[in-house]
Amino acid sequence: MSFDIALIIESVPKMLVGVGITLQLLFLSTLFGTLLAIVTLLMRIGPFRWLRWPAIAYIYFFRGTPMLVQIFVIYYGLAQFEFVRDSFLWPALRVPFWCAIIAFSLNVGAYTAEILRGAVQGVEKGLLEAGSALGLTARQRFIHITTPIAVRLSLPAYGNEIISLMKSTALASTITIFDTMGVARTIMAQTFKPYEVFISAAIIYLVIVWFIQMGIALAERRFGRYMKR
Amino acid sequence: MKTIGILLTAVSAVILFGMAQTASAETLRVGTECTYAPFNYRDENGQLQGYDIDVGNEVGKRIGAEIEWVCQKWDGMIPSLLANKFDLIAASMSITDKRLKSVDFSAPYRVSIGQFIGAKDKKLNLFKADGSVNTAGFSGVRIGLERSTTYEEWIKAKVPSADIAYYDSNEAMYLDLKAGRVDAIMTNPMKAFLRFLSKPDGAGFEVIGPQIAEQEYFGIGVGIALRKDNDALKARISDAIVAMGKDGTLEKFSLKIFPFTIHPLD
Repeated sequence: MSFDIALIIESVPKMLVGVGITLQLLFLSTLFGTLLAIVTLLMRIGPFRWLRWPAIAYIYFFRGTPMLVQIFVIYYGLAQFEFVRDSFLWPALRVPFWCAIIAFSLNVGAYTAEILRGAVQGVEKGLLEAGSALGLTARQRFIHITTPIAVRLSLPAYGNEIISLMKSTALASTITIFDTMGVARTIMAQTFKPYEVFISAAIIYLVIVWFIQMGIALAERRFGRYMKR
Repeated sequence: MKTIGILLTAVSAVILFGMAQTASAETLRVGTECTYAPFNYRDENGQLQGYDIDVGNEVGKRIGAEIEWVCQKWDGMIPSLLANKFDLIAASMSITDKRLKSVDFSAPYRVSIGQFIGAKDKKLNLFKADGSVNTAGFSGVRIGLERSTTYEEWIKAKVPSADIAYYDSNEAMYLDLKAGRVDAIMTNPMKAFLRFLSKPDGAGFEVIGPQIAEQEYFGIGVGIALRKDNDALKARISDAIVAMGKDGTLEKFSLKIFPFTIHPLD
């Protein structure tokens, strides 16, 4: 079978429709997921055991099951129950897009909570002792010393997580969402030329990743100011 | 004429028999979905069953080839054939001009039709009284169908404005129809009847409008697909299928599943 470079040139613009959806999935899931991660982190490292256990269970569940399983449980599983379909949640759960956002956010939340925990625990003890010596309260130490340093420490792993999420958004095409992958699969099914079509999709994902990497590098420089002389 | 016909049949039978003898080691790998009941699916014991499977096995028996089934998702079916993952497709694939550009087909072994299914209480007006498409009735109606099927081509040509959700399997489509995420689905009524409408889950749903069989979209029926430039194999398979239609074998396979026949009558 011959290689059809014209099809790549033709397919990439068609997929741009899907790129919009991919970026929306990426942006909203990162936003909600990160907020969720901060709440989970505070529960996880806080002093209350009755808050710690739910956080640990949540992280365990979402790190321990495949993302595709989570998407199917949320999309097909919940829809099976009459009381879910009658509840106030149904207007959101009815829409494939929001089901994907919920699944991705919960996933990002679990992973990022662990990334942040590692970063918080990685902050040098000496700095906190210096803070106490200056008379800062525990709360002030957390806000003014731990947080900025932990943010910087978590950035490389957090950037990984965003890139990994961006690639996982392709799973949304399995629940009728017309993201980049959904468009690609439809074009492939019409032309029977998987190589050209999926290469086009790969190019698009590579371009998106390049921008994410740039963003993370910029953030690393900005939050790393304290290390410069 | 009749004697000549019988003679020819006898001669071809001898030839076929001879080929069966010489080609006894021939193995044909056949791609199918394995999830498309009642045409190709696994029963509760994990055995492949269905009309496509019966036809494929019978064709193998008649041309003297060992049949080895390979399960493959629908949207990768033709690419996998072209990539030599298997040699034939027996997966209820309709013969269309578009597909003929990539692959060859045997003579048809089943007719191809489509029909809409929706909730009884939704009162959808997708068709006029004379059975023609009512475009206005499609506004605000979300239609579910399987990606890259003849149903997709039909609806894009007839109702370009239709709001379509694409699925990878029929089961997912029934689930979303029941959940109310789509208002109607366009699919094969035979299968939908067996897997959905006749089950408790399908209560409250019905077929909407006439059976659609326009040859322009649905082709002359369902055939066994194979890579191009395989004319000898194609002729052997087609001959076997035509013979199966004449001697009542295809009818027997139809009646195993449906109260009516589904093979081409000519």
